Amino acid sequence: MKVNVAFVYGCRSVEHEVSIISAVQAMRSVNRQKYDVTPVYVTKNGEMFTGEDLFKIENYRNLPELLKKCRKVYLTREDDKVLLKSKENKLFGKNKDITIDVAFPVVHGTNCEDGTIQGLFEFLNIPYVGCDIISSAVGMDKAVFKDVLKNVGLPVLDCICIYAKEYVADKQLATKNIKKKIGFPLIVKPVNLGSSVGITKVNTEDELDNAMMLAFSFTNRVLVEHAITNLREINCSVVGDSDECEASVCEEPIGSDEILTYEDKYLGGGKQEGGSKGMASLGRKIPAELTKTQEKEIRDLACKVFKAIGANGVVRIDFMIDGDTNTVYANEINTIPGSLAFYLWEATGVNYPALLDRLIDLAFKRARVRDNITYTIDTNILSGVSFGSKGSKGAKM
Amino acid sequence: MNIYLIALLIISSLCAIFSLTLHLQMLQQNSYYPSRYFGWLKGNYNKALLKDAILYLIISALVLLKFYRIGCLVALIFLLKNLKKSRKTQKKSIKPLVFTDRVKRIYLTASLLFLVLIVLYILSPATIIGRFAITVCLILCYVPPLLTFTLWGITLPIEKRISKYYVDDAKKILASRPDLKIIGITGSYGKTTTKFILTRLLSEKFNVVCTPHSYNTPMGVVRTVRTMLKPQTQIFVCEMGAKNIGDIKEICDIASPDFGLITSVGPQHLETFKSLDNVFATKFELADAVKANGGAVFVNGDSKEIAERIGEGFITYGTDKKFDFCGEKLSYGRNGSEFTVKLGSKKIKFTTKLLGLHSIIDIIGAVSLAYTLGVGVSDLQYAVASLKPAEHRLEMKPFTNGSLLIDDAYNSNPEGCLEAVKVLGSFDGMKKVIVTPGLVELGDKEYECNYALGKEAAKNCDIIILVGKNRSKPMQDAVQDSGYSQENLYVAASFKEAMEIYSQFADNNSVVLFENDLPDNYLY
Repeated sequence: MKVNVAFVYGCRSVEHEVSIISAVQAMRSVNRQKYDVTPVYVTKNGEMFTGEDLFKIENYRNLPELLKKCRKVYLTREDDKVLLKSKENKLFGKNKDITIDVAFPVVHGTNCEDGTIQGLFEFLNIPYVGCDIISSAVGMDKAVFKDVLKNVGLPVLDCICIYAKEYVADKQLATKNIKKKIGFPLIVKPVNLGSSVGITKVNTEDELDNAMMLAFSFTNRVLVEHAITNLREINCSVVGDSDECEASVCEEPIGSDEILTYEDKYLGGGKQEGGSKGMASLGRKIPAELTKTQEKEIRDLACKVFKAIGANGVVRIDFMIDGDTNTVYANEINTIPGSLAFYLWEATGVNYPALLDRLIDLAFKRARVRDNITYTIDTNILSGVSFGSKGSKGAKM
Repeated sequence: MNIYLIALLIISSLCAIFSLTLHLQMLQQNSYYPSRYFGWLKGNYNKALLKDAILYLIISALVLLKFYRIGCLVALIFLLKNLKKSRKTQKKSIKPLVFTDRVKRIYLTASLLFLVLIVLYILSPATIIGRFAITVCLILCYVPPLLTFTLWGITLPIEKRISKYYVDDAKKILASRPDLKIIGITGSYGKTTTKFILTRLLSEKFNVVCTPHSYNTPMGVVRTVRTMLKPQTQIFVCEMGAKNIGDIKEICDIASPDFGLITSVGPQHLETFKSLDNVFATKFELADAVKANGGAVFVNGDSKEIAERIGEGFITYGTDKKFDFCGEKLSYGRNGSEFTVKLGSKKIKFTTKLLGLHSIIDIIGAVSLAYTLGVGVSDLQYAVASLKPAEHRLEMKPFTNGSLLIDDAYNSNPEGCLEAVKVLGSFDGMKKVIVTPGLVELGDKEYECNYALGKEAAKNCDIIILVGKNRSKPMQDAVQDSGYSQENLYVAASFKEAMEIYSQFADNNSVVLFENDLPDNYLY
């Protein structure tokens, strides 16, 4: 009897393909002595599929062909079990239901990583890996994330948030405001997208409008913050929960442009391996060249950020260092980082199967903690209540 | 062959099937032990049995005299009566008959049995076989205990087969889980509480499943293994109960334990065990099984019967410094109990809402085992602090005017009551009030027990409020004999009046103990 882990990935997100890469990597790295793996691929229109063919990344090149070989399924609870059931039955006989013991979301971006899929798991009351609804949601929204950190005294860059309509209604006013409070050069980002989608560095006022409109094509709220000219980006992963967490070694990504673009992050390694290596193949220095004190500062800060938003599982936190002042700022958090940041943990001395094992343990731990705190009241309060004259007759029986 | 006789037999069979409800209910509640069911019959069914016999004689006489139609009428009347009675008793019952598969099989067997007997008569009405069939049919129909025993006997081989299948299935599941750690808990008292505390402590670090409620029979364990164990389960905490020698061994043969915890040995089920030595031997069947697996056995050293009998090679816990795990500095206060346990080289402080020495010793036992299995000190402290007391069992609650209530209203055990009063007595620096009607239903010992309770109350309480002028007479005597100041003794006519008296003293420095048998809705 092995624990059956359902890897849920894909989903309606701009980072759909990245999620497939991350999930396939993870599914192939799980310790099969201990776990059974059930792939649950969610298509861009939200349908779930499972099947053996989903384990191979090559098969995803021809999606219609792949899906034909898979089984269309849905997740549901029956009695004390969560089942993956077939939507269509075979011509003869019935497809067997698959019991899921723990869900492992490997999804990136809005409509899934942001608490959406976590909500589904909470609703089904199944243990799941990673951040819960609130920490996922906070982690996804860059503006809220900054607010939460600022509130507990953690260092973040000041920013301005603007809604699309607000901006379009009076571009001049908005520009004036930005100029006054932030100043050039600056960075424009959609508040709720990961993987550098829609992010632009703006050096002069002329470039601002284009950058704003690009960002607004992804979301209706945009964040503008000062661009650090002497910038170093440092990333650090954290694993754990609110009781105990630890930070990995740091990495320094090396971008072809001044900030990492989507192409850098996920298509950079494409030349060698058909783009299937995801974050792991991105140009980067591990460990980052930092002084001992600076590294310690960042790793401590990473754990504080992790706890501040109530994260769980594995996250990657991206920091910025202003080279002129040597100040460290927390920039953003990935609550489900690309490739689950396994390459950072390998460099820290934790191999991928061991990392996945720990993540699954953490999922069960959170479920236990909840069981210990909350309990449902077994008796139905309504059973003793009379509803009008008809009900009261019934209650007397 | 007579059509009216057949009708009579059919009506009688139906009549019997309806009268079975009560008997199967009793058989079920006595765990299908015919001897215990017989015990219930002896205590509760004498008069009814006489009625059954008379009815049987009447019907037999009518059959012998060939008054079949009158017989039918009589049987019909009784059928209707039984129908009504069985419905009524089941509705009123606290624990009605549960229609398990086993019960369904018994009903099916009963129907088949009557069918066979009636068919036998139809096939050869005039022969000896036919007459025999009629006689057996009527006896079984009108003497339900006889029918119950017969059905139990007929179904026994099948039931044994079925339960063997379940046992084997459970063994197979456990065999497929070599990494699963199994902890056996037994003892005359405290095993269910200790099980729940241990499960809570272990769940800080592990995925734990325990036998639910007070399931502690082989079939209860089998059922837990088959339905509740999950692939991720790391530890199975298994309560093991015993009423006879060999019972614990039987469970250990199914769920072979890696660790054992024995909470106490005392004079429970002495009617079957005969001697305390036998109780001890049975409880320590768990130790034999654990040691055969190379595991450690934790025993409550404070249990006198255990301490007198154990040899070497046990891990002891309790309140004596010579034990391996020793709880010290127990005190009670507004926030509950406080005590320390030495874990490793450090004395660790624990707080809990649970009151009373027994609960504290249960916690110490659970802490020692959980610590040994690797649960961290701060996890243990947190888990112990979040334990919840059972309702109305030394349960601490905030009460009128900021005062503190210790609700022990469900306690009816004389020793437990004395302990509760002692707990109240250890709330140093607070005004200690007891509200109690005393103990009831203790037969010859009633006066003696209440007198002792009164003495203890006089020793420990600042104010004593007794409920019921006549009922609390023995306690009044004891309090007066103790030379207790009369102005602090109140006798109230009702609980409501007692509450009015108490409300004069209630402030944020007073603690009140509600002891035994108070109305369910007393707080409202």
